[in-house]
Amino acid sequence: MIASNETFVVAAYAITWLTLFGYLWRLARKGARAGAGHERIVGGSGREEAR
Amino acid sequence: MPSSDRARELAPTRSPRTSAWFAAGSFVAVAAAQAYSVATSPAEGDMGHLQKIMYVHVPAAWMTFLAFFVVLVFSLKYLWRKDENDDLIAASAAEVGALFNGLTLVLGMIWGRPTWGVWWAWDARLTSTLVLFMIFVGYLALRGFVEDPQQRARWSAAVGIIGAINVPIVYMSVMWWRTLHQQPSSAATLDPAYTMGLRLNAIAFLLVLIYFIRWRYEIARLERAGERAAEVAAMGGHLA
Repeated sequence: MIASNETFVVAAYAITWLTLFGYLWRLARKGARAGAGHERIVGGSGREEAR
Repeated sequence: MPSSDRARELAPTRSPRTSAWFAAGSFVAVAAAQAYSVATSPAEGDMGHLQKIMYVHVPAAWMTFLAFFVVLVFSLKYLWRKDENDDLIAASAAEVGALFNGLTLVLGMIWGRPTWGVWWAWDARLTSTLVLFMIFVGYLALRGFVEDPQQRARWSAAVGIIGAINVPIVYMSVMWWRTLHQQPSSAATLDPAYTMGLRLNAIAFLLVLIYFIRWRYEIARLERAGERAAEVAAMGGHLA
């Protein structure tokens, strides 16, 4: 079966959005992990200094 | 400097709310630009509706070039000033550039299959774009396995500069070697019916590019702060 031109156009736009949202999702996860790690450093050291 | 002070110094530089608004704005801009261009551009004489792939393929390629230009500038800056923030900006731009580079290649294949009859050809533009992609995948791999931050930054800067030098070769490839890929699409070479759509999509992609690089940079700063704290802990004291 030969795909129509419209199928290729839809595939191109779908892959574009999947890529953009996929990377957004990756950044959100990475950011959450890095943020939690940063909290541990700042919070943990702060508590130690207060003690 | 105590690790907690250093960690605070590398803390995020903008509020999550600003970030969320910018993200929403840039993604809405992409959707609006695509809707406008798909709805208003007429079917092209030879390619018909396949021409509409241009609105995502060409801006993705431009963003690749722009991101790698940022890598070039900040890699040179790092080698000049040895400021680790320059290294982190270059690395963030390299990751986002590799993303757009990969997207450009895939979209080009999707466009090539119905127009050329093949998914891939060892054409000068396609091959040089693939080489560019491989260099920056190598750049990211390099950052993953070099543990010493200064050595990692120096080596990354060198690879980043070599990679970015490849950008003009990719751009000029269709003029230097007349193969399968068409001449570059730009507002000057396009039919006026397609110009506005291309411009709007390029601006929308630019907003996404800026957003991605900035956010990736914020994360890189947090990661670096964690890395530095681990270094301090391993040395059992404070870093200078």
